[in-house]
Amino acid sequence: MLHDIGINAFHSKPGGNTVRKIVILALAMLLPAGAFADANKGKMLYDAWCAQCHGYEGDGKGYASGNYTLPQPRDFTKGTYKFRTTPSGEPPTDEDIVRSTQKGNPGTSMPPWTRFSDEEVRSIVEYIKSFDEETFELQGKAFQIGKAPSPSDALIKQGMEIFEKAKCWECHGRAGRGNGEKGWQSDFKNDGGTRAWPTDLTHNWEYRNFPAVEDIYRSITSGFDGTPMASFQTSYSEQDRWALSHYVKSLQVTRKTGSALTAKKVDTIPAVSDKKQWEAVAYIDLPLSGQLIFEPRQFIPVVTNIRVRSLYTDAEVSILLEWTDKRPNKGSDGHPADAVRLQFPVQLSSGAEKPYFYLGDSAHPVNLWYWRASDDQAVEFNASGQKENAMVTQEQNNIRVESEYSDGLYRILLRRPLATGDKNDITFVPDTFIPLSVTVYDGEHDEQADRAAISAWYHVMLEPPAPLKVYVLPPAAAFACIGASLFIRKKLKKLKT
Amino acid sequence: MLTIYPVIAGAGIIISIISAKKKAPFYNYIGILMAMYGGLKSVEFFAPPLPGQVILMYMAMSVFTFIIYFSIREEQFQAFLRPMRTVLADDSKRIPRILIMYILLPVLAGFITYGKVMPKLAPPATARIVHPEPPASITYRGKSINILGIENPLRKDEAAMAVHIEAGKKVYYQNCFYCHGDDLDGNGHFADAFNPRPLPFRGTDTIAQLPEGFVFYRIAKGWTTLPAGSTPWDSSMPSFEHLLTEEEAWQVTLFIYEATGNKPRKM
Repeated sequence: MLHDIGINAFHSKPGGNTVRKIVILALAMLLPAGAFADANKGKMLYDAWCAQCHGYEGDGKGYASGNYTLPQPRDFTKGTYKFRTTPSGEPPTDEDIVRSTQKGNPGTSMPPWTRFSDEEVRSIVEYIKSFDEETFELQGKAFQIGKAPSPSDALIKQGMEIFEKAKCWECHGRAGRGNGEKGWQSDFKNDGGTRAWPTDLTHNWEYRNFPAVEDIYRSITSGFDGTPMASFQTSYSEQDRWALSHYVKSLQVTRKTGSALTAKKVDTIPAVSDKKQWEAVAYIDLPLSGQLIFEPRQFIPVVTNIRVRSLYTDAEVSILLEWTDKRPNKGSDGHPADAVRLQFPVQLSSGAEKPYFYLGDSAHPVNLWYWRASDDQAVEFNASGQKENAMVTQEQNNIRVESEYSDGLYRILLRRPLATGDKNDITFVPDTFIPLSVTVYDGEHDEQADRAAISAWYHVMLEPPAPLKVYVLPPAAAFACIGASLFIRKKLKKLKT
Repeated sequence: MLTIYPVIAGAGIIISIISAKKKAPFYNYIGILMAMYGGLKSVEFFAPPLPGQVILMYMAMSVFTFIIYFSIREEQFQAFLRPMRTVLADDSKRIPRILIMYILLPVLAGFITYGKVMPKLAPPATARIVHPEPPASITYRGKSINILGIENPLRKDEAAMAVHIEAGKKVYYQNCFYCHGDDLDGNGHFADAFNPRPLPFRGTDTIAQLPEGFVFYRIAKGWTTLPAGSTPWDSSMPSFEHLLTEEEAWQVTLFIYEATGNKPRKM
């Protein structure tokens, strides 16, 4: 058993082992066997696999708290629980804590703990409840969720009206990107005094309480106690809440990951404001991580995803970057400006070799296109490794930029001639996979320099027009087939007569 | 997609049995080939999938072998050819002839050719050596350490084991768990952003296969000393020499073995 858990909980608190064991043994004789086994096993599992974040005392002050995680681990001693099936103000049911434990909370450092049996998880839940027995003296009465009505245009429209009427947009923004002005205020806080940010409802991978329509219904009904997210259980009917849930669900975007982006050739590159044309262009989504390789490291990056599209003409290549930012920042209010940086190798190697994916290395420099919100300009840099002063601004700037921030979404279009004649620039050649990576800064959260969200290497390929043989050979093969049939038929007929 | 292959094999067997009873060797032949193809593709359910070349070879061999088999007896061979003859030559079979010979087969031929000549846009895939051969000795913050065959020096200090494991736990959850996972399963909350994905420590195929000195070396040097065959340019593993003391690096090494129940390989 101890071996399954990996770490022996007694082991981790040295000293007094024998005495403790005797005391526990004595206590065990006084208690019903099952109850004792539970509490003890729960503590052992909790200390081994929960305390690293939630703390040995359940106060949310484990090793991976403070600057290491955002949102912060739950403080179990306060008895306030966000994710419940009970009315606001009531404690969660055991099932609620079991659900968070077994399924985790998307977009946070809480993973789904699938390795433990149901019985083990229940013993952990018992122990978690023991950090605040007072709260759990009251038993929360779970509301029924029932079956979700199937979505229809009418229902979604009704949901949209409720989104308006219930003022969901004040925090979550008109398009649901978590960019409402109420969320910008410095007094938009959780009970503990920590700064709160409304959920970006378009990112289905960031719904802490899960993104299915039943989950949204649960969140709207219960509210998130201890946060500005209120309960709508009494203010809106069941039917209204289902309608709202379906509307919120309809705001979610589909994330499409992949290792390469293809760029089609066009006659003219559409303007950034030409949304309709750009929406028809193929994209890939790049999941982002904090920059964790060099000091100062960014353990709590804000931007989680960047969407990349590309088109090219005879003369130019263009790359459109889109990401959500709950509050745009131009470098005022004592915060640095929002920024984004595209990175390419200066030289393409014939083999697999590339520059290091973050800022290159001394043998393999990179070409950076760097856009800043402060002056809405894009400049070209070169870097050969992450070191202070290792970034060199190019004298001649070949990048043209069009930018837009609208309703929580940044859209930055960068354009450059395919070839510039500068030996420090990447030259775009069609029919070649060109490595590309992205770095994004959220100024509001003081991201700058190496404190940023970064992506791995991906590829962009300027798709060459299809070769002639693609149009010629398949019909030729089909006709050859028909010809052969006719020939055999003729021969056979001759044989017969 | 994979589940369709057993269905093809099953349908092939049924067609083959029925046509054998009805003495229709041509359909029997089609059934046998279907069963062969479906069967070979279904190998993937319980073994590594067969390479396309191998399947092609088996199929080509079957196509010829069974023609030979069905042509041994003249009578049977005539029966074998009959369906083809009727469709091609019999004037009363006009509709099936147009469908098969002038529509179905040409379209199939065109489609296969299109698949062959259309350029495939796939980014270059790189084979990657996950655990490259380590050097015999490294420097850690200027101090030379012989890592070949070295045992974790903290293991000698049995009395303080629990303290070291706990210290290693702290190092892990402030430096490693973002990528390698809260449960050390390689599914950290940033794991999706990296390529290659961070390695898991659970299971028997990573640290259980490695001597402790190697793990220490990878923590110490990270991406910086990987050979080209291990694609250092893609690796997000930091060089922790700059972030942890030597003792902390050994403590976290100890922790990842203890927490997963794995034992380091002895040299």
